[in-house]
Amino acid sequence: MSHVIEVTDLTKRYRDTLAVDRVSFTIEQDTIYGLLGRNGAGKTTVMSILTAQNFATSGDVRIFGQHPYENARVLQRMCFVRESQKYPDDALPKHAFGTARLFFPNWDQALAEQLIDDLQLPMKRRIKKLSRGQLSAVGVIIGLASRAEITFFDEPYLGLDAVARQIFYDRLLEDYTARPRTVILSSHLIDEVSNLIEKVLVIDRGRIIMDEDTDAVRDRAANIVGDASAVDAFVAGREVIHRESLGHVASVTVLGALTASDRERLAAMGLDVAPVSLQQLIVRTTQHAAGVSGSAAAEDPSATDEGALR
Amino acid sequence: MNRTLSVVRMQLINKQTYIWIPLLILGGAFALTLAIYAILASSGVDGPKYGGGAQAPLWYFLVVGIQALTLTFPFSQAMSVTRREFYLGTLLTAVLTSAILAGIAVVGGLVEIATDGWGMNGWFFGLPWIWASGAGGAFLFNFVVAMLFFVVGFWAATIYKRFGGTWLTVVLVGVGALFVLGMWVVGRLDAWGALFEWFAVQGVLGLSMWGLVLGAVLAASAFLTLRRAVP
Repeated sequence: MSHVIEVTDLTKRYRDTLAVDRVSFTIEQDTIYGLLGRNGAGKTTVMSILTAQNFATSGDVRIFGQHPYENARVLQRMCFVRESQKYPDDALPKHAFGTARLFFPNWDQALAEQLIDDLQLPMKRRIKKLSRGQLSAVGVIIGLASRAEITFFDEPYLGLDAVARQIFYDRLLEDYTARPRTVILSSHLIDEVSNLIEKVLVIDRGRIIMDEDTDAVRDRAANIVGDASAVDAFVAGREVIHRESLGHVASVTVLGALTASDRERLAAMGLDVAPVSLQQLIVRTTQHAAGVSGSAAAEDPSATDEGALR
Repeated sequence: MNRTLSVVRMQLINKQTYIWIPLLILGGAFALTLAIYAILASSGVDGPKYGGGAQAPLWYFLVVGIQALTLTFPFSQAMSVTRREFYLGTLLTAVLTSAILAGIAVVGGLVEIATDGWGMNGWFFGLPWIWASGAGGAFLFNFVVAMLFFVVGFWAATIYKRFGGTWLTVVLVGVGALFVLGMWVVGRLDAWGALFEWFAVQGVLGLSMWGLVLGAVLAASAFLTLRRAVP
């Protein structure tokens, strides 16, 4: 499979912070990626540099084998939908879509109109007067209808209700199936997109800490639940990334796929195996990677599940 | 080239900014000036009456230049437009709208001349100095001044976008300091007379040409700044 994006040793330094720290990865053609990570992890910076909106401090970025900066032939094959996109002051949604139609060669007007209908976007209101969710809908429609060969969605669903988000996921998947292309979706709602994304890229403090198939990631860890002493006996010698206990019951997340003999032993010990959701796994791994400095968050695991990746 | 023309269409989404407000300013200034002329004429002032109201929309072009960048550059980036395409398309938009404005000023001036100052010797568009070289000179002068205002606004906005408000202020204060220094030098050399004479000798065509040169320098420097600007 060919690589549409190749990133080598990409570094972005702002005055006092290292936003992206010698990152290297490749993006395969016709695949949906989840670019996941906490706020400030460097997701938007990476996507901005890939689309030549921002500049790398050092390192190399190739899109379709070429540098994207000031390269109209490469840029018009990409579409980057930002969470905080600004629009011209007087623009109505139809102006934004009309302009997108001029610049994106694969623009699909019928799809755009269907989405306007599905997402109930008011077409006669100025974009700056739209609600947060309607503003996000404008971005989502541009991203989907532009049918660019590489589409970046940077948290495109802000303010969208659950129904609208589901419409977005459904339309994305439908259209992707009909016309495969590369999609890079940055999201905080990991479990919501986990069925959508085929590959997971996790970025934490400017570094890529996970770059794998979503299925492989799911098999990477398991929750062992049961009597605390039995759980401790089973996990001895394994890499534990999270532990919770309530009275005598413990739930411990261990890294590594479970073998058949592991499962037999678990059954014999009266322990249960619960799957780890993608969100849990990434929260745990990110906390783990953060190490001791993340211990304050780790002390309150229930809150962490809710908040760590928001 | 196609994409550059599309940038023009993108800029003209802001019809309010580019078309209606300049026309409103021009129309308003025109109506007010004529009203004043009428009052003067009715109280028996027969001499020629001149007004500077026609420059009102030109000043507004400073704002247009700023907004062309601040409102539309971030959107152009989302449309996968290169900075060069955005820059050329935006300048082309300025050329078009400046030409429209200059065209209105020339038509207004021709009407004024034909009606002998709206029948009351009142001059809004057809100021003699601007029309010294005929309609062509008047068009050129109006066009260049509008462009110059636009480019100054655009140039300042690119500095703001790339380096922030502090640096923009530093640059503007620096430019102001250069002006003061220039005035001091002229004063020291006792050259004010010579300077005004130079302006007079240049006439409307010469000054328009110098305006074009200044505009080109500012536009080129705006491009260099924009090349590394982040939306």
